[in-house]
Amino acid sequence: MTQELTLENARTWIRGFRDVIAREAGTLTDLDSAIGDGDHGINMARGMAAVSDALTLDDATGPQANVADLLKKVGMTLVSTVGGAAGPLYGTFFLRMGTGALPESLSASDFGDALARGLDGVVARGKAELGDKTMIDALAPAVEAYRAALASGGDLASATVQAAAAAITGRDATIPLVARKGRASYLGERSAGHQDPGATSMAMLLSAAADAVA
Amino acid sequence: MIAVLVVSHSRPLAEAAVSLASQMVGAGDVPVAIAAGTAEGGLGTDALAVVAGLEQLDNPDGTLVLSDLGSAVLSAEMALEMVDPSVARRVLLSPAPLVEGLVAGLVTAGSGAGLRECAAEAARGLAAKQAHLGGDELGEVESSDADGAEVRAAIVRIVNPSGLHARPAATLVSAAGKLGGEIRLRNVTTGSGWVSAVSLTGVMILGAALGHEVEVEAGDPAAVSALVELIAAGLGEL
Repeated sequence: MTQELTLENARTWIRGFRDVIAREAGTLTDLDSAIGDGDHGINMARGMAAVSDALTLDDATGPQANVADLLKKVGMTLVSTVGGAAGPLYGTFFLRMGTGALPESLSASDFGDALARGLDGVVARGKAELGDKTMIDALAPAVEAYRAALASGGDLASATVQAAAAAITGRDATIPLVARKGRASYLGERSAGHQDPGATSMAMLLSAAADAVA
Repeated sequence: MIAVLVVSHSRPLAEAAVSLASQMVGAGDVPVAIAAGTAEGGLGTDALAVVAGLEQLDNPDGTLVLSDLGSAVLSAEMALEMVDPSVARRVLLSPAPLVEGLVAGLVTAGSGAGLRECAAEAARGLAAKQAHLGGDELGEVESSDADGAEVRAAIVRIVNPSGLHARPAATLVSAAGKLGGEIRLRNVTTGSGWVSAVSLTGVMILGAALGHEVEVEAGDPAAVSALVELIAAGLGEL
């Protein structure tokens, strides 16, 4: 059982996210082609490849001093390399997660607070709310499930698993929704029946976190 | 003289829009920069490129930012948070459509007008086209007048703190659907065209913010009063 998010498992998390994005880029792009501009997969893959280079994720260590520093570097890199709306949204998520006087490694409650800050940042950036068919539909339930798991005595690993599971449920719940934000909102009712690509990649991010701290 | 920054998904689109607008009298003298496309020349926006553009253009009279859509808007907002506050204070992000706003903004800037005046002109950039096309931007045919049926209209002020965002807009659309008949809305404050009250996209396009005045028009006076009452009460959000 992991009690703290160390720099090492934060790197494992981001590496895992890079790999799943690279593997599923086609799926994300297909989802986005159905309701958006069809670039989410390729944009995220480009962004995470740049993150991988900037953080030398394939080496044993990287140029980042601690978890907060790593989160900020991920955010800054995504902001300038993703290209689509996911750039400012994921960029804000990671930058806000890494904000504040954070310890070298994050305790279970530090990580929960960081996720909640990230969520607040994404909500403020995208001006979307729950049910608008966006990444918030995966992230908000995840933050809530993480809090609930900690409150009932869970540790970092079990709370992160609960968060990932809630994100997947939230992702699936986007299918019948009508998009109210982003390019998909131009489709109106026609956006219903498709899984939201942003909620899909967000669920992947939280699953990668669960794998990294398991 | 103010400066103008163009934020777009596409560098060719931004360059062509600037060249079109620069043909206008005086517009060619305005300092302009472009933050557009990805580093590899593809479609996309980069908040750090917007930061660089804002820093490059920074001047005492201020910088007006015109953007296309989606991530261009998010990247511009993010860049504004990332630049030095002393620079950010002199920047306005325009909600105007890119081409029309750029023409209006550059012409006004070229005349030596201040930042707020240029921003206001850019925001009114659609007015000429709307006036020419009868202000009916969604192409809906006005049928009630042709039938000789009575059309009633009333103006109501938006009281929701965040304006007609997704939730209240959805409440409005569903109420209009239940009332039946053709009901149209327009944002009087921004001078928008008419949209159907049963179209969520249409209602969102109005961009009705707190304090904006919205005109409700329908063949049935009872439908007008019912919607006006609902909007005045905050659409179930207050």
